[in-house]
Amino acid sequence: MTAFRPRILVIDDEPQIHRFLGPALDAAGYEPIRADDATTGLREIARKPPDAVVLDLGLPDMDGKEALAKARAFYDGPVIILSARDRETEKIDALDAGADDYVEKPFGVGELLARLRVALRHRLERQGSEPALQVGDVEIDLVNRRISKGGTTVKLSPKEYDLFACLAQGNGRVLTHKQILTAVWGPAHEHDVQYLRVFVGQLRQKLEDDPAEPKLIETEPGVGYRLGGLV
Amino acid sequence: MATDESQFREAGRPDPDALLASAGRGKRGRLKIFLGMAPGVGKTYEMLTQGRRAQAEHGEVLVGVVETHGRRETEELLDGLEVMARRPLEHRGRLMMEFDLDAALALKPRLLLVDEYAHSNAPGSRHPKRWQDVEELLQAGIDVWTTLNVQHLESLVDVVWKITGVRQRETVPDSALSRADEIELIDITPTELRQRMEEGKVYVPETARLAAGNFFKPENLTALRELALRRAAQTVDDHLNQAMKRAGVEGPWAAGERILVLIGPDAMAGSLVRAGRRLSDMMMDAPWTVAYVERSGGAEPDPARGAHLAEALKLAEQLGGASVVLNGDDLVGAVLDYARRNNVTQIVVGKSHRKGWRAWFHRSLAPELLKAQNGAALHVITEVTTGPARPAIAGTPRTGSDWLAHLGAIAMVGVVIGLAELIDKRVENVNLAMLFMVSVLGAGLAFGLWPAVTAAALAAFAYNFFFLEPRLSFWIGHPADVLTFLVFFAVALTTGGLTGRIRDQAKATARRASAITALLAASRRLSAAARREDVASILAEQVSAATSGKVVVLLPVDGEIAPVAGAPELEALSTADMTAARWTWNRGEPAGAGTGTLPNAAWTFRPLQGVRARSGVVGFEPKALATAENERFALALLDQGAIAIERAELAAAAVDAEALRRSDRLRSALLNSVSHDLRTPLATVLGSATTLIDYGEGMRPAVRDDLLLSIREEAERLNRYVGDLLDMTKLEGGALVARRDWTDVRDVIASALSRVSRRLGQRRVHRDFPAELSLVRADAGLLEQVLVNILENAIAYSEDGALIEAAAYEDRGNVVISIEDEGRGIPTAELERVFEKFRRLEESIDRGGERGKGAGLGLAIAKGFVEAMGGRIAAASPIHDRPDGSKGGTRILISLRKDAVGAETKSSEP
Repeated sequence: MTAFRPRILVIDDEPQIHRFLGPALDAAGYEPIRADDATTGLREIARKPPDAVVLDLGLPDMDGKEALAKARAFYDGPVIILSARDRETEKIDALDAGADDYVEKPFGVGELLARLRVALRHRLERQGSEPALQVGDVEIDLVNRRISKGGTTVKLSPKEYDLFACLAQGNGRVLTHKQILTAVWGPAHEHDVQYLRVFVGQLRQKLEDDPAEPKLIETEPGVGYRLGGLV
Repeated sequence: MATDESQFREAGRPDPDALLASAGRGKRGRLKIFLGMAPGVGKTYEMLTQGRRAQAEHGEVLVGVVETHGRRETEELLDGLEVMARRPLEHRGRLMMEFDLDAALALKPRLLLVDEYAHSNAPGSRHPKRWQDVEELLQAGIDVWTTLNVQHLESLVDVVWKITGVRQRETVPDSALSRADEIELIDITPTELRQRMEEGKVYVPETARLAAGNFFKPENLTALRELALRRAAQTVDDHLNQAMKRAGVEGPWAAGERILVLIGPDAMAGSLVRAGRRLSDMMMDAPWTVAYVERSGGAEPDPARGAHLAEALKLAEQLGGASVVLNGDDLVGAVLDYARRNNVTQIVVGKSHRKGWRAWFHRSLAPELLKAQNGAALHVITEVTTGPARPAIAGTPRTGSDWLAHLGAIAMVGVVIGLAELIDKRVENVNLAMLFMVSVLGAGLAFGLWPAVTAAALAAFAYNFFFLEPRLSFWIGHPADVLTFLVFFAVALTTGGLTGRIRDQAKATARRASAITALLAASRRLSAAARREDVASILAEQVSAATSGKVVVLLPVDGEIAPVAGAPELEALSTADMTAARWTWNRGEPAGAGTGTLPNAAWTFRPLQGVRARSGVVGFEPKALATAENERFALALLDQGAIAIERAELAAAAVDAEALRRSDRLRSALLNSVSHDLRTPLATVLGSATTLIDYGEGMRPAVRDDLLLSIREEAERLNRYVGDLLDMTKLEGGALVARRDWTDVRDVIASALSRVSRRLGQRRVHRDFPAELSLVRADAGLLEQVLVNILENAIAYSEDGALIEAAAYEDRGNVVISIEDEGRGIPTAELERVFEKFRRLEESIDRGGERGKGAGLGLAIAKGFVEAMGGRIAAASPIHDRPDGSKGGTRILISLRKDAVGAETKSSEP
């Protein structure tokens, strides 16, 4: 495994981004592959699927979401979105369309690489689903539907359990409101974000060390939630 | 009254309409009328006495106009009251002193005393009548006291005429009296009044002295006194009724009484309308409707008859009645149908005193309605045949065409007489009567009902005279011939009448059809017009064609109405006309010539009332609306025009909204672009810096240097962009001040080139400067920024290895700087727009185009700066063939004017 350098495809039309991202990925032990537009990127994915894709949403030849949808037809590896803060809806759409995570421009290289690591690990773990998950001092027993914190069992309502299990299975990935609501409450409730606010609040009361400063369930403002403590 | 109200309030639910009406009066001034039976009872005296008291108590009392007629005791009362100056008005060389309405409105006293409610204003005043002035004062919230003699009431004109034999010209509509909040009856006995007259205390104008003797007879005064008392009592009654309605008390209202007044286009119409109003008064203000009944296919509209009708309908409106037109062949049926549908309980109908054959032909409605027995009470009003002569308008002047028609009919009979004579001589035993019948039929077909009747009579007598034995005599020899004659006469009259009526009906139908066709055509043209100005001119044209008179259309322009179209041509309106037009615009009521408001204007104005709001005003020549038919047609056109204008305005609003949406789209694209252009360099700076921090140590020096370089380059790019935005803001905010010093443009070009040198890459630069060049007065800093922007543009749009040429030269009074590139050039159609702000942005909106070359501010800033220095900038493209065979290249020319001094100040090559 020492010689294994995960191949990371960067699709971005800004040459300056490649100019620093290339050396950074290289130095962090990845093999960077450059694509300046969506068509080149898709061709590259089809030719030899990379281990992960970093995709800019603002591409000259194709909308980022469209590129993602096309890629998802034949590629199920992790995809991380590069986006600007003022394109919130595009970002959410991209996550709903199957992106694993996103990083807002401008970003520090450390942040991007951390997300990349989580995504890659998540992908490895998904291949062999684990019956139990551990997040900090919280343990989730997926078989017995039991959650314990610091060894003691925490009593959760069925919906609270479902919600936490859903977040845990995301494994540090951002899950959009829509994704969580659909998974836990069903497609009819995909817009009822207020349910989430209530139940996340209850979970934080029961599971967080300090519910006022949550570390376990992190809020991605306007987008969704992710399970923290994994990055 | 207040105690009445509180007593009643408990009793039941108040009538909301009555409450609303009283709420609406909140802002209105209060009207008090001092009502008297005749001049001299002391109305003005009483008003002034009370006015002085009011002045002492509350102040702010102003005397608008008072006629003292030189009576000392009245004049003394004016002492201590403020009296307004009168407004001089010149009319036909006579100077008249009139009440100054505008001054009163401006002074806005709490209480204004205005004598003689029924006074007619001098021509040229805003309103023809003083009661209209008072109405405006009340609307302005001013309390008004005024005086009125009962004989001036419109509905009593006939009655007063019958009593006194004097027909009042100065009248006040009854509604103007019922609007009064308070009525005070000034009552003295007829004996007292006569005594006062003998003492000379009653003012009677010299000219009326003869009539006055008649007027002031004791029996007249007693009758007038009764009228005044009844009127006052009735008004008290009305007020009580209203108070009870407000308080929700059930009372003896006119339970379901409805009055229908049937009028025709004759002199009786006015009397019938007044009778209707009196009946309504007797029945607690029962709703009353005036119906104009028209036999379809009647005679041609006759101006005199039309005038009667128009006057009567206007009177009905003034007296508070509704109006409706009923027509059809079966008049009685139409009337009964209307009465049944509207629950009419009282029908008022006139019966004229016609004598002889006219009465025989005139089917009077009264007996037929009586026969019909529909349950309604029938009031038959008979024509007044005695008394003073009718107004001139009552005479029915025969028009020329009428005479011609009768002459034609006579001529036809004459021809037949000749023909019959010829035939009679040659052929035996011919029924010549049939021949005469032909002439009657012909007259009916050609000229209508009445000429046919003329022809029938003439033919009958001519037949008798010429062909029945003994000939050339009206004597009839054989008894059988008597029968022949009578039968012939009857048949001729009947057939002549029938054909005449058929012909009249056909003509009426044709007229109506042509009106409808014209209306349709107008509607089609109006709906095809896109802009409201087009609609206005089409409307003017159509209305002008329909009324064969001049028409002007006024539409609001910046909140004020102004003439925008006219037919046959747009004429300037006088100040008086514009005042009337403005009145119509503000109030939505007709004004100008022939109306009750500003009748001195040369035009009549009508509002263009659309579905949602008033959309304009149309002015007519007064004669254009003379006939009812013209008026109806013109008004129908106005309705269509109003709607068409409204539609055009809505369409324009939609276009504006689209422009706004596009500008919104542009703004959001601008925001995106600015955020992108600011964020991309920032992302590179942050990304490169964090890369160096996290992984810098293990990197090769070359890679590390490249990252550092990219940080620097992107920081510079960011700085340039922020600078551009600041420049643009300065330009737009007007904060840019060009400091103009003597400048050598060659120096500036050189320094601009050196500023962009690092971004040139492999591009070559060629400079072409003359050895001597005039100095210009320019801001070197701004000019350098201009050149940098242009050069950056040239770099951005041309490939590596291309040539950029910078030149400067003198051209007549100017120094010209030229910068050329070998890029792909600018499409000719776009050339004019390259200097527009965010030009590139719009392109990218339109075609989802490219990015990364800036937001397109550079050239806009260049243009702004050059113009700030008094110069000009232009672009030319394509300018030469490119290596790949296509046309390309762009040349930007900046031209700066040499100053007079500058022309002499040459500088040699630096």
